[in-house]
Amino acid sequence: MSVSRKAGKKKEKKEEPKAGIREKLAEMLELPKEIVMNIPKMTMIGNKDLIIENYKGIIEYESNRIRINTGAGIIKITGDLMTIKEITSEDILVSGNISSLEFLK
Amino acid sequence: MLLLRLWNYIRGYVIILVEGYFLEKFVNICVHRQIFLWDIKRSKNSALTLKASIKGFKAIRPVARKTKCRVRIIKKKGVPFFLNRYRRRKAFIVGPFLFILLLYAMTSFIWSVEVTGNKEIGYDLLIETLARNGIKPGVLKFGIDTDRVVNNMILEIDKLSWVSVTIKGTKAKVQVAERTVAPELVPKNVPCDIIAKRDGVITSVIVKDGYEMVKAGDTVVKGQVLISGRVPIKNETEKVRYVHSIGSVTARTWYEKSSQVNMKRVQKVKTGRTKDHISLILFTKRIKLFSGEIDFADYEKVEIRKRLSLGEDLVLPFEIVIDRFYENNVMEEELDIEEAKKLSADSALSEVMRDIPPDAKILKTYANYVKDKNNGLVAKVTVECLEEIGLKKEIGGE
Repeated sequence: MSVSRKAGKKKEKKEEPKAGIREKLAEMLELPKEIVMNIPKMTMIGNKDLIIENYKGIIEYESNRIRINTGAGIIKITGDLMTIKEITSEDILVSGNISSLEFLK
Repeated sequence: MLLLRLWNYIRGYVIILVEGYFLEKFVNICVHRQIFLWDIKRSKNSALTLKASIKGFKAIRPVARKTKCRVRIIKKKGVPFFLNRYRRRKAFIVGPFLFILLLYAMTSFIWSVEVTGNKEIGYDLLIETLARNGIKPGVLKFGIDTDRVVNNMILEIDKLSWVSVTIKGTKAKVQVAERTVAPELVPKNVPCDIIAKRDGVITSVIVKDGYEMVKAGDTVVKGQVLISGRVPIKNETEKVRYVHSIGSVTARTWYEKSSQVNMKRVQKVKTGRTKDHISLILFTKRIKLFSGEIDFADYEKVEIRKRLSLGEDLVLPFEIVIDRFYENNVMEEELDIEEAKKLSADSALSEVMRDIPPDAKILKTYANYVKDKNNGLVAKVTVECLEEIGLKKEIGGE
């Protein structure tokens, strides 16, 4: 999928005192945070496509609700007519009408 | 994405239905084992459809067993499956190969010979000589040594100065150039007269060598000596000097021809009814395909030939010949006098033109018309020309 990264939003999870040092280090050395901190990088195109890189696994998959386990907790995607367009061990591409995105602890 | 889809289509993929309770686990394990899945859709509560490559599908089986899922193929797509379907149809595979083979075989022969550039040498002679040297329709083109053919052609036909043979497709193109024959030397030591070729009135006499016998205005008859090779020597009556006379004598000459035309003319009018005989020429054999009886009382036959060829040069050995018969209605019609005059004059003129040598200059053309007894019209055409009438004749040669 050729997804333009500019169009996407970046959502990152902050803190955990341990991760603090890593985050500072990443910021200081300008390293990609998602790699250093082992958190997902998400790219969204409107509400149609969502690419989650650096995820851990699928927890639940229904056409109106998907839960994905990541380093920043569980991401719950709700919407309708959602399909997994592509899935590899690095990233997952969900497409459909996405209505909300939630981080669960 | 289109490229990826195309790639998947070429590689072949399956659409499968997975049923079970731990579908997420199934997908996770597949992903973990590097099995590429795409277009995963939830179809029912406990089932999902997905696409996987052929190789991926083989690896899916153990995963399904492990997660206690049931896997069923819904559809097989892509080139490998498509080919597999036609594997048993031998003609499908043999067909294209046979086609290529046949086309190759057909085009490795020469099917037509084209000769250009000849003016005086007969076309038939060239074709015949080429055939003797191995260039004729139906000959394998690989065996032809064009250099050898060119050499032989020049040796065999004296008038040729240059020949080029090129084989293009199934056509042998032969270009020739003719030798310009060296002018004949004037044999000055052979004494000769110049005599009249035909009757006429002399308009001019130019003598370069010899003794002038006639002058402008004289009427001469055929065979009369115009310039004599016997030149009298001054002061001597008996002795003469023999020379090879050279000169030009032009004279006014007349040519006459008459032509009779019947005032009643038989005219043929096409009725519009036609019949075709179609035959096929395969290689050099003629096969009649369709021929019916021709029941026309009077007809004209026109032959239409159609040659099958790929492009201009790749002529194939098939030819369709259509013999078209046009029915004629024979009608008699009275000619009016003007038309009859014109018709008879034209035919007389064309006849008289055959007699006039090409280098003669036509000065005037007259036509007389006489009605003859059995309802005909006779045209008498006289053409006045200016021409060279001198003809060399050896003295004592007879």
